[in-house]
Amino acid sequence: MIKKALLEVKNLEVDYPYGTEKITAVREVSFTIEEGNVLGIIGESGSGKTSIALALMGLHDKAVETNGEILYNDEYLHTLSEKALNKYRWRDIAIVFQNHLDVLNPVMTIREQILEAIKKHLNLGKKEMDKKIKELLKMVHLEEKWCHAYPHQLSGGMRQKVLIAMSLACDPKLLIVDEPTTALDAISKEEILQLLEGLHKNKKFAMLLISHDMYVIQRLSNKIMVMYEGRVLEEGVTKDVLENPMHVYTRGLLDASLDINPYQDLWGIPEGNKDEETAGCIFQERCYQKKESCREKIPELQYVSLERKVACNRGGIITLLEGRHIHKTYGDGRNPIIACNNCSIKVRSGEIVALIGQSGSGKTTLATILSGLLEEDGGEVLFDEKSVLGNNFTSRKKGIQIIFQDPFSATNGGFTVEEIVKEPLDILKSDTKEEKNRMVKKALEEVQLPITKDFLQRKCSSLSGGQRQRLAIARGLVMEPKLLIADEISSMLDPSTKANVLRLLKGLQNKFGFAMLYITHDLALARKISNKVYIMYQGNIIEEGSACEVFEKPQSDYGKRLLGV
Amino acid sequence: MKKKRKILGFKQYIIIFLCIITLNFFIPRLMPGDPFTFLSAEEGQDHTAFSSEDIERHKKYYGLDQPLWQQYISYVRNLLKGDLGYSIHYKEEVLTLVLSRIAWTLSLVIASVLLSAAIGVFLGTISAYYRNSSLDKILYSGLITLSEVPSFIIALVMLFYFAAHLKLFPLSGGMSHFVDFSSRWEMIKDILLHAFLPLMALTITRIGEFYLLARNSMISILDKAYIKTARGKGLKRRRILFYHALRNAIPPIVTRIFLSFGGALGGAVLVENVFNYPGVGRLMRQGVFFRDYPLIQGIFVVMTLFVLVMNYTADAIYKKLDPRVS
Repeated sequence: MIKKALLEVKNLEVDYPYGTEKITAVREVSFTIEEGNVLGIIGESGSGKTSIALALMGLHDKAVETNGEILYNDEYLHTLSEKALNKYRWRDIAIVFQNHLDVLNPVMTIREQILEAIKKHLNLGKKEMDKKIKELLKMVHLEEKWCHAYPHQLSGGMRQKVLIAMSLACDPKLLIVDEPTTALDAISKEEILQLLEGLHKNKKFAMLLISHDMYVIQRLSNKIMVMYEGRVLEEGVTKDVLENPMHVYTRGLLDASLDINPYQDLWGIPEGNKDEETAGCIFQERCYQKKESCREKIPELQYVSLERKVACNRGGIITLLEGRHIHKTYGDGRNPIIACNNCSIKVRSGEIVALIGQSGSGKTTLATILSGLLEEDGGEVLFDEKSVLGNNFTSRKKGIQIIFQDPFSATNGGFTVEEIVKEPLDILKSDTKEEKNRMVKKALEEVQLPITKDFLQRKCSSLSGGQRQRLAIARGLVMEPKLLIADEISSMLDPSTKANVLRLLKGLQNKFGFAMLYITHDLALARKISNKVYIMYQGNIIEEGSACEVFEKPQSDYGKRLLGV
Repeated sequence: MKKKRKILGFKQYIIIFLCIITLNFFIPRLMPGDPFTFLSAEEGQDHTAFSSEDIERHKKYYGLDQPLWQQYISYVRNLLKGDLGYSIHYKEEVLTLVLSRIAWTLSLVIASVLLSAAIGVFLGTISAYYRNSSLDKILYSGLITLSEVPSFIIALVMLFYFAAHLKLFPLSGGMSHFVDFSSRWEMIKDILLHAFLPLMALTITRIGEFYLLARNSMISILDKAYIKTARGKGLKRRRILFYHALRNAIPPIVTRIFLSFGGALGGAVLVENVFNYPGVGRLMRQGVFFRDYPLIQGIFVVMTLFVLVMNYTADAIYKKLDPRVS
């Protein structure tokens, strides 16, 4: 059923004055809210969410410039005078402001503050007004005695309820809710969410929900709009966006949400250094997959699928590595051992994909084929849309690097530390000697190994397993890979060294934004670090999906057995 | 708003009162001369009409021959009994004298403070709402300048211009003498006409104080979230400004009104002399001129009491006005 559009916003722009200049808080934002629908706006603090809310109600100060069209029920609100707008305010569009002490007038009682909206907009007798106030308080589960209280006498949770009751005093058709659960404890938060859910169900008002909390958005909204520095970077159906974010920023927000990713370590989106103003994409300095052209071209918000729009010059998160229908058989014709059977796998940029399965399931074979070090019998491997053939991507910078399970055989014990790390650069011959030394030192620093002259000259055979594994990682990093294939790199390490190496790797991954294909039989570990999971069994990929999905509800019989669900 | 006024207890007021009456006792006695040198002298002249025996006799009669500390003790004792002493110059009870004049002064003071508060707060609110506009700038600089001019100078200017030059108002006094008023209304009109210029002189200097206070509190209040909430409700601008915002600004303003009575009283003393207004101010000038210790002291005590009561009321009212102060 197609619902009627209640609010249509076109090219909204909000500029705040700043000295003689102006700061643009919202630009080119367009959206539609249908009757009874809930649109969630998510974004970091300062991304312009609240500015949109204030613009819709015309509540910005005079000095703030707002442009664009706001069409509510066939009435262009942005053309109306303050006086004409007052008819719509609260009666049609009401707002639950972000909860803090000052949001209610400190010298007026709760009753007085709820009542004045009713008095202004509804033509009710004294008795009816009393009844209405009682109803409103009851509706938000607040005892009647509180209506004679002053705001400072209420707790944060109670104040939030008062704000909700007040906003619904005139039964608005559109409710704007700004950060309904910030600063509330877990129990109050849940209570407020349930309350909003229930009220929305009963009253059927449309809602514009603003929050930086993914969980709140997930609970209450049908559609979502992801904002960054005043622009919309992604929009779509909430469920789809959360399951499969298409913008690097959206994925970063999801990764940073504990409610949605309860098992993963907490990593925020790294702060970019915004020292130079660029005309291009606003997100580029924090983006993992930016290209030179991103500095010049502002991406437009475009459809990438039926109900999904993304503003990215690269069309959203790109698929970095794709293995299609890979087939590999060992042995002769009479006794074939099928190591990989029609395996298809995708790694998107900046993503950690875990490939799990028991020993002998074909994981390492598949990984080696994906890196190009082993030739497949059938199918093809693409890296950044180009075929992986031999060492064409492992032997160059910004390509693929692979780190193996056994650091003792992967690093030559007779080489010095410096030689090991520098070797790939020596082969490349593209940098000067000083450059190379600098890069070697930097890579060693990144993996937290010493860079003293003494250490650089040490023979590898004198290092511990943990140190040698770090050395192997440093050798990979020196090539600035976009994809790191890590094959059971922690299985030979003791638990403490393993924890150190993995934290290090995840930190580096978050900082440099490379994608990682992590091959392991350690399920707990996979759950902790990965965004996506593939399960391999007897040469077949039998299950794939987001880490949450796969670990919570595996579909295949083997998956259920493996994960003990 | 956030600054908490320190609220004094009743005991502290008693201590302050005692300190003030002590000062009150000593200050007149530190002035050169004594009552009897002036007792029969005309203003500006300095000759004595008393023989030294007469002076001794008078001093003994008024208790001025005793050591200072004894005078002080008897002064305090009498004061506690409500006896303010006997005026040497007017030959009358000080209390009676003061009471006969105080109504003139108090009505002037109270009316001027209330009037200046009303005008100041109104203009301050307007200024805050239109802040940084040219209206705001004109009001701001104009009122600041006016508030720096002492009230007696404004009084003099008004006296010369409106009374002497334009002859719109009477030159001096509290009401016309030797006139039979045809009705009560005629009399009130006459009194108001006499009071107008002194009242204006006192009012104009105080407007700036209230204007600034109201403007500053309103500017910070208008930025508060609850003002946005009120606007969101679609309320009228008048209600938002003079109800939501002003109600929050009122507590410090009311406090200031009460605190202003003291300052206004001081101003009234000078302005009354400019207009020859029959209030306590003129009485005091006479008292000072003739070194009439009991009279000066008496006036001071009454004024002190008035100011202290007002301060106390300010504290009490502040608690009532702001629900957050409990």
